[in-house]
Amino acid sequence: MEMFRSNTVWYIICQPPTACGYSTGQLRFRGVSQMPVAEGKSVQQTVELLTRKLEVLGAEKQGTFCVDCETYHTAASTLGSQGQAGKLMYVMHNSEYPLSCFALFENGPCLTADTNFDVLMVKLKGFFQSAKASKIETRGTRYQYCDFLVKVGTVTMGPSARGISVEVEYGPCVVASDCWSLLLEFLQSFLGSHTPGAPAVFGNRHDTVYGPADTMVQYMELFNKIRKQPQVPVAGIR
Amino acid sequence: MADVLSVGVNLEAFAQAISAIQALRSSVSRVFDCLKDGMRNKETLEGREKAFIAHFQDNLHSVNRDLNELERLSNLVGKPSENHPLHNSGLLSLDPVQDKTPLYSQLLQAYKWSNKLQYHAGLASGLLNQQSLKRSANQMGVSAKRRPKAQPTTLVLPPQYVDDVISRIDRMFPEMSIHLSRPNGTSAMLLVTLGKVLKVIVVMRSLFIDRTIVKGYNENVYTEDGKLDIWSKSNYQVFQKVTDHATTALLHYQLPQMPDVVVRSFMTWLRSYIKLFQAPCQRCGKFLQDGLPPTWRDFRTLEAFHDTCRQ
Amino acid sequence: MEAPPVTMMPVTGGTINMMEYLLQGSVLDHSLESLIHRLRGLCDNMEPETFLDHEIVFLLKGQQASPFVLRARRSMDRTGAPWHLRYLGQPEMGDKNRHALVRNCVDIATSENLTDFLMEMGFRMDHEFVTKGHLFRKGIMKITVYKIFRILVPGNTDSTEALSLSYLVELSVVAPAGQDMVSDDMRNFAEQLKPLVHLEKIDPKRLM
Repeated sequence: MEMFRSNTVWYIICQPPTACGYSTGQLRFRGVSQMPVAEGKSVQQTVELLTRKLEVLGAEKQGTFCVDCETYHTAASTLGSQGQAGKLMYVMHNSEYPLSCFALFENGPCLTADTNFDVLMVKLKGFFQSAKASKIETRGTRYQYCDFLVKVGTVTMGPSARGISVEVEYGPCVVASDCWSLLLEFLQSFLGSHTPGAPAVFGNRHDTVYGPADTMVQYMELFNKIRKQPQVPVAGIR
Repeated sequence: MADVLSVGVNLEAFAQAISAIQALRSSVSRVFDCLKDGMRNKETLEGREKAFIAHFQDNLHSVNRDLNELERLSNLVGKPSENHPLHNSGLLSLDPVQDKTPLYSQLLQAYKWSNKLQYHAGLASGLLNQQSLKRSANQMGVSAKRRPKAQPTTLVLPPQYVDDVISRIDRMFPEMSIHLSRPNGTSAMLLVTLGKVLKVIVVMRSLFIDRTIVKGYNENVYTEDGKLDIWSKSNYQVFQKVTDHATTALLHYQLPQMPDVVVRSFMTWLRSYIKLFQAPCQRCGKFLQDGLPPTWRDFRTLEAFHDTCRQ
Repeated sequence: MEAPPVTMMPVTGGTINMMEYLLQGSVLDHSLESLIHRLRGLCDNMEPETFLDHEIVFLLKGQQASPFVLRARRSMDRTGAPWHLRYLGQPEMGDKNRHALVRNCVDIATSENLTDFLMEMGFRMDHEFVTKGHLFRKGIMKITVYKIFRILVPGNTDSTEALSLSYLVELSVVAPAGQDMVSDDMRNFAEQLKPLVHLEKIDPKRLM
């Protein structure tokens, strides 16, 4: 990995949505992967390189996508009584599920709710406060290739591009561990040998049906990883 | 002379026959001339009568002779084009203006073509009869007239028997669940759920499988009014492909006298899709080809192959 | 595979500042039938709807005087329905021109791991109960007639006990803030239910 910029991360996410009242869309299976930024290239150039590879493969452009994440920490008022110090809560949205809102804790449950949850967070202002300038999001283009859906996004935090996310979804399969090898082979076809190890969701829970929450957990982990990386200027690194 | 004619060119016989006709016509007109002239130029009435009768008799005899001659000749001429393979149309070859009317060569061409067609059709029909695609118990080769009117017995099995066969198969494969329903009369419809991989809608006619549709585990298999949706196809290319292969399998597994074995074989074959996303192709060793996993399962070995990798 | 609609904008929001207008009353068990009968006649023509819900009230205590209250509700007779998370603000009695109690309200449909998630957020369960009754609608008005059951063994909704010999009757409307006219409609409707039941705006503070 020496030759790659440290601020570029790829991840594998998989996801079909669990039904939450209104969301009737078909279930999807996803994997998100990382893409290396080649030496001396900017994030933008690497995204272009990647999308070109996808187009050569025969993938078709199909709109855009956006995933965002806001971090909340327990307000000072509750620290003493609850002993929840340091626990962060993430509230996320995904353009793939425009009517849903996802709330997560690291290594904790992921709640799938409708967007009124955002209103509740306003009411909870006294207990949970959004961390300053913590909003992180990834935006990019969706590509379709056969039954695969690939989303290549630029991860931005504030004004700066911090990395690249690659999400691969394989809709026909609902059990993550069933199709990891297949996804890996697909990833290799456009990422080369720089494919990631299997995300936790592919290993630990055999036979459970993959849901949108599983994708959001992977995005959360990806964002956290990117957030922790020291910010380096985008261009001019060796 | 007759012998020569019979073996010789028909045209000669024709010429002979034509002159025979001419002879006949002149002898016939002599008869009428004789009748028209009547009795004359004889002194005695008796002499006139005698001469007229003799003359008339001679004339009739010659008519008779000429007629016989014509009949004999016409036998020789016979049906002139009988030995010609194109029958009367063979006479077109006699047309001297070939360049203007190339009918004859065209005709020959058409004749050869239709001959060939008939020959090949015969061969094909022979082959097809050996490898019947008909899945009913009707015997091939039995003509429509002689086909018994009653339905083959395998089509009128009691529903209870069908239920038994299906529930036995259901118990055979733990990872496969089969739900049987009869929304329209006695014909059964099966919803087969294979692990968490796929769902199959099977439309039965008695114990024969008429139609099958494969969909994803997470896809909706019901119409809006809650009935099994037997028409719409899967949204995913991989399951559309598996649907095609399953239809092929329906034609492959057939044993008209033992329909329950057929259903069991089909289900056994279907079960091999439990590893649809996990089994690499046995030929090329890869998972994906043109974005699709190995969707074909060998009918005998149940091994996984890409559609284009199977032999 | 069909492409779902895609928007470039991150989706945030929901419906801000919704208010619940509420009138309450109660009937004894024996007069339930006649009330139901009246409601069937007055309300929108629909199949009579019943419900059986399990409701859990959660508290989040901070250093503020009053704890933050959330209500989690799930249907026990309809499997697969989403959980319902509800925030209710302080009730306002208002003046005499407004004929219903008003309180801020946020309704959220959620996945079934709601309880775990609230615990993770630091909420603690305060109490739980089971409600069982009938639901009617007239326009945007919602009328519920239900009985509250106490849960004898915590978490076990199988063994319950009726809290009283009467049914609670609630007439409610959820509307954007400031639409006080809806309370007029509510009063008119409440008038039509008299004398079977008297629906009033009841100040919860008085009951404490």
